[in-house]
Amino acid sequence: MIRTIASIFVTLGLLLGVSFYEGARVKNTFERFDAVLRVLYDKTESGEVTYEDGTAAEKFWENQKKTLHIWLPHTAIQEIDYQLYEAVGYLYVGDFDSAIPKIEILLGMCENIPQSYRVSLENIL
Amino acid sequence: MGLIFIRTIIIFIATLIVMRLMGKRQIGEMQPYELVITLIIADLACIPMADNSIPLLYGLVAILAIYLIHQIICLLDLNFNAAKAVVSGIPSVVLNKNGIDDAQLKKNNLDVSDLIESLRVEGYFSLDAVQYALYEAEGTFSALPKPDYESLQTSLPVILIDEGKFDQKNIDLTKKDKEYYLDVLRMHGCKELKKVLVMTVAGNGKVYFQQKGEKYEVFHLDWQQQLW
Repeated sequence: MIRTIASIFVTLGLLLGVSFYEGARVKNTFERFDAVLRVLYDKTESGEVTYEDGTAAEKFWENQKKTLHIWLPHTAIQEIDYQLYEAVGYLYVGDFDSAIPKIEILLGMCENIPQSYRVSLENIL
Repeated sequence: MGLIFIRTIIIFIATLIVMRLMGKRQIGEMQPYELVITLIIADLACIPMADNSIPLLYGLVAILAIYLIHQIICLLDLNFNAAKAVVSGIPSVVLNKNGIDDAQLKKNNLDVSDLIESLRVEGYFSLDAVQYALYEAEGTFSALPKPDYESLQTSLPVILIDEGKFDQKNIDLTKKDKEYYLDVLRMHGCKELKKVLVMTVAGNGKVYFQQKGEKYEVFHLDWQQQLW
């Protein structure tokens, strides 16, 4: 019986620990990515952006996504990759007007993805 | 991950409730919660294995959640009888000294022919050869025969009336008609066919007769010869 109780507490602790860590990790990563994207957005809007700013955002994302694969469905990561590469591509050719909607999509994703991991009734149902 | 954990618990509880509602026939030889665990865990293990876009951790957390539920149920099972009855169910005595317990059969979604079939599988061909019969919580069937049960089943009984309905094929086998058996019922105080829970007859004319909510009777029909 002691063994059963111990296994319950260990499993519960493990599950709660993983849950809280996942929530915090995803939230934190997307908050930082959001900040990087906002700077990129502002610069693009004012026409001060350079291709290097785009590749810096890309590099930041590349570093983060290595560990995000553990927590996020890989299709969500691929979608961010696709939008980000397109935005950086537009910056490379100097088409800032086309880059802005792509960065806006990425900002929306930064807001929505962590929300879909929140423990809430609408997510459970 | 918290979502998977909660969703796993919800699916587990829902499946367990459904399995409990379906009765013992659906359960087989496992405890209801064990079957639910078997069903869910097989799928949980398969999804992240088959779909590369889903992180493996999703499957692991769900399986860990199932393990946690299992351990909690085991703990309740061992220490709290009330919880054990809710989760695993209790044995149902479907045949006792008064005969068939219709209410217990219905509670487990079984009928008289199911009971007779279970008895035959155990080697008891006559309903009056058994003192007690029960379906265990995990769905297996157990019967306690009367001390002289072998002498009580010298000929194979067939069902003539099952829950108020004649079995025409078996009536033809006895070379009598429905009127004959309605007279037999009247002679034994039964005025309505729908009140009959079961009536079986063996080849030597031995009848097992039980009305709903009453004790069974065994009597012999005045047949001139053994029919089978």
